[in-house]
Amino acid sequence: MSNSKVVKDLMLDVFEFPHIPYWFSIRQAMGIIKKSLLTKEKCFQPMAILVFDEKYNLVGTVTFKNILRGLEPRFLKTTTKAQGHVGDDSGLSLLWDTLFSKESKEMAEKPISEVMTPAKHFVSPEDPVTKAAYLMVHNDLALLPVLENNKKFVGLVRMIEVFDELSNTILEGRG
Amino acid sequence: MTKLLDRKKTQKLYVQLFELLRERIDTGEWAVGTQIPTEEDLCKEYEVSKATVRIAILDLVRQGYLTRQQGKGTFVCKRIIPEGLTMSTSFKESMLEAGVIFSTRILAQTVMMPTDDIDVKLNIAEDKHIIYIKRLRTVDSEPVLLQEAFIPHHICPQILSDDIASNSLFDLFEKKYERKITKIRDYIELTYPNKDEANLLNMKEGSPALSLDQHFYSGDTQIMYMRSIKRPERFRFYIEMERKV
Repeated sequence: MSNSKVVKDLMLDVFEFPHIPYWFSIRQAMGIIKKSLLTKEKCFQPMAILVFDEKYNLVGTVTFKNILRGLEPRFLKTTTKAQGHVGDDSGLSLLWDTLFSKESKEMAEKPISEVMTPAKHFVSPEDPVTKAAYLMVHNDLALLPVLENNKKFVGLVRMIEVFDELSNTILEGRG
Repeated sequence: MTKLLDRKKTQKLYVQLFELLRERIDTGEWAVGTQIPTEEDLCKEYEVSKATVRIAILDLVRQGYLTRQQGKGTFVCKRIIPEGLTMSTSFKESMLEAGVIFSTRILAQTVMMPTDDIDVKLNIAEDKHIIYIKRLRTVDSEPVLLQEAFIPHHICPQILSDDIASNSLFDLFEKKYERKITKIRDYIELTYPNKDEANLLNMKEGSPALSLDQHFYSGDTQIMYMRSIKRPERFRFYIEMERKV
């Protein structure tokens, strides 16, 4: 992989993504997604919001999935599933439909910090792209923050660029 | 019956609509606290496009007639707007005790997207990043002032890493970044802090405080919007007016 790119070659600017503080509600985050991401010219994948603390440290990321999970009525939340038979969830989905307008509006007032994906995994700008791929695959992440000197948040790498770079290596026999 | 817009007039449609909506507020048809109809309903009622309705409403928000609450709607504000003074005015504010020393606690110095009507108050697009600063000022350990500042990130991104506990934002703009502040618009009114604000200011929830909303301009560009809640017993305002010759 000697000629391969490193993380900083694929990195995106943090300001490509909307920012919110952790105390914003799910409702506020939904408003920001609609205004900042769900417009034709700014449809930027993966659609994610970055969540920061009071001192502008990254504390997490939020995608549609986090938000939908956060709106789910409390008693429909599943605990650890038993192995084997996968049950028919269609009844539960109907129940969610019935409860959605009532309970989910209350759930939307919860702070976003309760539903975000905490920022636990990072890469540095000089790390190989394979390290980013490893962390993304093993932690089910579509985005990975890049920290300089383990401290300063300088950018993000996306699965799409990581895939593109690794596929170049495979298909063109580079490295 | 709804007055419709006169398409033969040279006056732009959104200006006509602004006047008609303002009339509904001024006459009390839409009382303080009333939620006004949605943009879609106003489009149908006045037979105009959504863009026309939006511009008229944004102007009413800017001029303090309406307030937008994200996810809830647009509401009629309490509003007391004096006639502008054709005099040069100097405005000073002082603590009632002379020689007091402020301490500043930084509660936030971060980046966010504008919510509610902050984009309108800053006159920026709703998808622009803003720097958010929240500070609590104390005198002898007693909280006296809670201040939130909103600065478009592209105006001065360096403020994110500045020492804002010992420097005023005004001084940072003027001295460090050489952005001369040419105009400040202030709105002072009575307010009732919410639970969190009252806790920070060590006040009882529901007791009155002073609210100061400030719009800072450098030339034609608004560079900061600041809102402050002050304990009323600790401040006084002083205005000096001098007629321009």
